[in-house]
Amino acid sequence: MDYFLQLLISGMAVGLIYGFIGMGFAMIYRATGVVNFAQGEMMMLVSYIAFTLAGTLHFGFWPMLAATVAISVLIGLVVEVLLIRPMLGQPVFSTVMVTIGLAVILRSVVVLIWGADPMPLNTGLSTEVIRIGPAGLYPAQLYALGLMAAVLVGLWAFFRYSRVGIAMRATANLQTAALLMGINVKRIFALSWALSAGLAAIAGVLIGVIYDVNPGMWTTGLRSFPAVILGGLDSVFGAALGGVLIGVVENLSEGYIGRGMKEIAGFVLILVVLMVRPYGLFGKPDIERV
Amino acid sequence: MRSGNFKQNYRELLALTDSVAVVFWSCVLVAFLLAAPLVLPTYYVSVLLLLLITAVGVLGLNLLTGTTGLISLGHSGFLAVGAYTAGIVAGKLGWSMLPAILVGGLSAAIAGVIVGIPSLRLKGLYLAITTMAFAVIINHLILNGGTLTGGSEGLTVPQPSLFGRPLGAERGYYYVVLAFLVVFTFITLNILRSRIGRAFLAIREHDIAAKAMGVNLIRYKLLAFMISAFYTGIAGGLLAFYTRYLNVDSFSLLISIEALSMLIVGGLGTVAGALLGTAFIVLLNEGLGFVFGMIGASLGGAGSTAAYEIKGVIYGLAIVLFLRFEPDGLVGRWRDIKHYWTNWPFRF
Repeated sequence: MDYFLQLLISGMAVGLIYGFIGMGFAMIYRATGVVNFAQGEMMMLVSYIAFTLAGTLHFGFWPMLAATVAISVLIGLVVEVLLIRPMLGQPVFSTVMVTIGLAVILRSVVVLIWGADPMPLNTGLSTEVIRIGPAGLYPAQLYALGLMAAVLVGLWAFFRYSRVGIAMRATANLQTAALLMGINVKRIFALSWALSAGLAAIAGVLIGVIYDVNPGMWTTGLRSFPAVILGGLDSVFGAALGGVLIGVVENLSEGYIGRGMKEIAGFVLILVVLMVRPYGLFGKPDIERV
Repeated sequence: MRSGNFKQNYRELLALTDSVAVVFWSCVLVAFLLAAPLVLPTYYVSVLLLLLITAVGVLGLNLLTGTTGLISLGHSGFLAVGAYTAGIVAGKLGWSMLPAILVGGLSAAIAGVIVGIPSLRLKGLYLAITTMAFAVIINHLILNGGTLTGGSEGLTVPQPSLFGRPLGAERGYYYVVLAFLVVFTFITLNILRSRIGRAFLAIREHDIAAKAMGVNLIRYKLLAFMISAFYTGIAGGLLAFYTRYLNVDSFSLLISIEALSMLIVGGLGTVAGALLGTAFIVLLNEGLGFVFGMIGASLGGAGSTAAYEIKGVIYGLAIVLFLRFEPDGLVGRWRDIKHYWTNWPFRF
């Protein structure tokens, strides 16, 4: 039982990171219908930027997180304006390929600037393990839980009450109608990319603090695909839940079935779920007319 | 008065090509490829050989993604299935080359049908990510296949031989691969002008509309997956006998992405585009590798990693810029140039 709880809790801790990345995927998909295959790479880039910030300015954890998120939001905006906006009107597939191209570029750029060796992201956060029942957690993993709660409440309030949030929901619902109602859809797209990059920044900093920053971090982006697919590509909150579920399933299958199962458990799970629910658990089915 | 391009009967409409120039230049291309090993140095022949093998696989991906409109990120999986099956039946069971490659293709086709079943309910990016899941699972199975697949140690494949006679990599085997490519190009062209090809196109334009017109979606989507996976499996088998050593690392997701970028650079949905795109990306890769290899060598160890990464940046930029400025690919650009010259002084 202790073993089970231990796997469960550490799985949830990993799952929170998948959740943050998955929410970033969902944020962009909801508004623009594009899956950003460079999400993992953006996370990696931002986490290296955090590494530089931590190394030069000696920020504490929270100021550094805030600064990193701000920089990441700017990066998201730049990417949207430079690369994604010109692709408006092209097939979705082409835009997706642009994000794949961006991913290839970012992977190389990171190694060019920072080198290929893994480095610890030092923020003065204690690395002493906190024991919760049978499981041990790093403080950063507890912060991840708190951050996730804060982000979820914040996003909920944003989508529910703020003018811009409602405009984003309207755009996700029906672009043409949103345009006719005077919503600046282009600005909504840019905002989605910015918010998504901000979420990637949180994930990047957390991974950097819990593990280290290394040029293979982008694979976490790939591993987060099952999270967002499980929740439904257009459901931001579903992605958060999906992330936690995938993290737990990965850890349990690794613990009980065998070594290496971690790598594929999420993908096997989504294959099964998609056979039953082709739009994920919380996704909205497309109703198509010919 | 005869003007422009018009057809008077169905046979003309269904002909492979109505242009003498196309036939002539295709023959010139094949003649060049036949003569290449005799005149080019071995290194260039082996690049060309890799290009031809890649082209077979990209033709397959084109049938699925370009013609039928089903996006697949799982073709690295089919390639791995084909390569490993061919490698295992040749290495462990002692089959000769041709049956081994064919069995590789068939097993990939079976895998294609299995992957195709979820595709009946999934669309667009959901499908893309599901096929990606398949590729990840295949790699995991290969890695944990024990002595059958060699796991992380890899698998050695015997030297290719035809009718009991061993083939040299650059001379004999090159012609085998070329024959495969020519045959598969013809098969593709013939599929595209048949009932099956038209069904594929209808599904790409709108699958529900196609269904309403009487296209059996289950049958044709699975068929598209099967044919496409078969091509890629054959390419895998050819690759196995080319590299003669298989390792799971060489079948990463990047292969699928690279193949898609070849399609896009060439022009989605056309055979000429698939071939052109393959040639462009493979030669770009080789060219960049050559140039930056020289720069890197002159800079020493650290310089060579930097050169490798700069090569990555340029490769990514090439994809992005092509999509941005040439969404129809090289084939689209060629068409525009042709129209410009035939219709001059009019714009269109």
